[in-house]
Amino acid sequence: MFASSTVTRGLSRCFNRRFLASQAYIRPTPNDAATSTTPSNITLEQHAALDSALRVDHAGEVAANWIYRGQHFVLGKQPDVGPLIQEMWDQEKKHLAVMDKMQIQHRIRPTILIEAAKIGGFGLGAVTALMGKEAAMACTEAVETVIGEHYDDQLKEMESFPSDHPSIPLLREVVKEFRDDELEHLDIAVINHAQRAPAHALLSTVVGMGCKVAIELCKRF
Amino acid sequence: MSASSLKRTQLLKIATSLVKTHGFTREALARSVLYLPNQKHVESKQDNEDCQPLSDTAVSSLFGFGDAARTTLIHAWLDEGINHMSNSSQPARNVSDVLHTRLDWNEPVLGYLPEAFALLSTPNPSWLSLQFDPLPALKHAHRIADEAAYLSMDTSRELAWYARRISLAGIYSAAELHQLTSPSTAHSFLDSLLTGSSSLEQKLGDVMLYSDYVYKSWKGILKSRGML
Repeated sequence: MFASSTVTRGLSRCFNRRFLASQAYIRPTPNDAATSTTPSNITLEQHAALDSALRVDHAGEVAANWIYRGQHFVLGKQPDVGPLIQEMWDQEKKHLAVMDKMQIQHRIRPTILIEAAKIGGFGLGAVTALMGKEAAMACTEAVETVIGEHYDDQLKEMESFPSDHPSIPLLREVVKEFRDDELEHLDIAVINHAQRAPAHALLSTVVGMGCKVAIELCKRF
Repeated sequence: MSASSLKRTQLLKIATSLVKTHGFTREALARSVLYLPNQKHVESKQDNEDCQPLSDTAVSSLFGFGDAARTTLIHAWLDEGINHMSNSSQPARNVSDVLHTRLDWNEPVLGYLPEAFALLSTPNPSWLSLQFDPLPALKHAHRIADEAAYLSMDTSRELAWYARRISLAGIYSAAELHQLTSPSTAHSFLDSLLTGSSSLEQKLGDVMLYSDYVYKSWKGILKSRGML
């Protein structure tokens, strides 16, 4: 079931690769208002919501990068799981590059807890990888579950933003694309025996709760 | 936005242009109505009985009672200062030009600024009973620093974002305080602070680079000995 949904998602991405919203940031067009300006007609509350949303997203991508860095540090040389972790890490690097540009474009204050996100991410990735590759996959499964839900909640919140400025529809498409990528990682983790990890339920709960606490902290700080 | 709040915004904008002649006073707010686009400018009551400054009650109901109205005017003037930074001259500028532009905004009202800042720093009555509220000053400096960084196309990320803005806020605050006591030397003082800051930044960058080399060297040594 999971394998077929991954294949379907993968095929869909192949056909739609040239329509990926993030390409607007990876290969920007000069003087494109969608990637270089921020809307000025949103209310103060909407701006605060956009500010905290993008701050959390940016911090999340930094943490995800460091989780995979930690996992790669321990398991990178293993032939069965090393290339898989590398591939997911490369995708997170792309996410982070886009988030860096969006942070500057929309004048978002980055979280002051960024160094803690790096240390925490690396520690989580390395420790779960030391527990075994199934535990590493369980960590990925738990993190990507929380992130996928979080991106979904943001999309609902962004529905109220005015769409007349071109950056807002692009932002929604980028968030959708990243949500789908994270859910793909979740599928990959499950296919690679995440649920065989020792104390899977406990590990998933602890990692999931940690992610939710981190999200709330980054929204404010 | 309703018609009444549009009118209020319009009056407030006009009042900010009257600050250089009337200061941050309720009188500036009251007289703003005389300069509405569809009103003839009137100085004397005899010229037109219908065109008079707003009454004290009207000023209170629109902008707040007592000093609250003055605080509203001060905040509106500070907002206009931020707009002035972005409206002046060419698009891609360096941070020095932007901060100089902001200092220029202060010049017509320098005599009124100390009292205005003191009014903003008056703490609200609270159980903390502080003599002085530093938050408005910090917010003022931060807004200007953030706008200056944005207009100069700053691309700092993560903690460098904070370092850049704290540095600019400190520089601007020092220059503005200097301007209140010695307006003629304010711009050169700002230049000296900016030069000192960029040289410090360069030295810190050199230290970081050197530390990186040392770290990589040791990592290489440990790897070659099989310890890593």
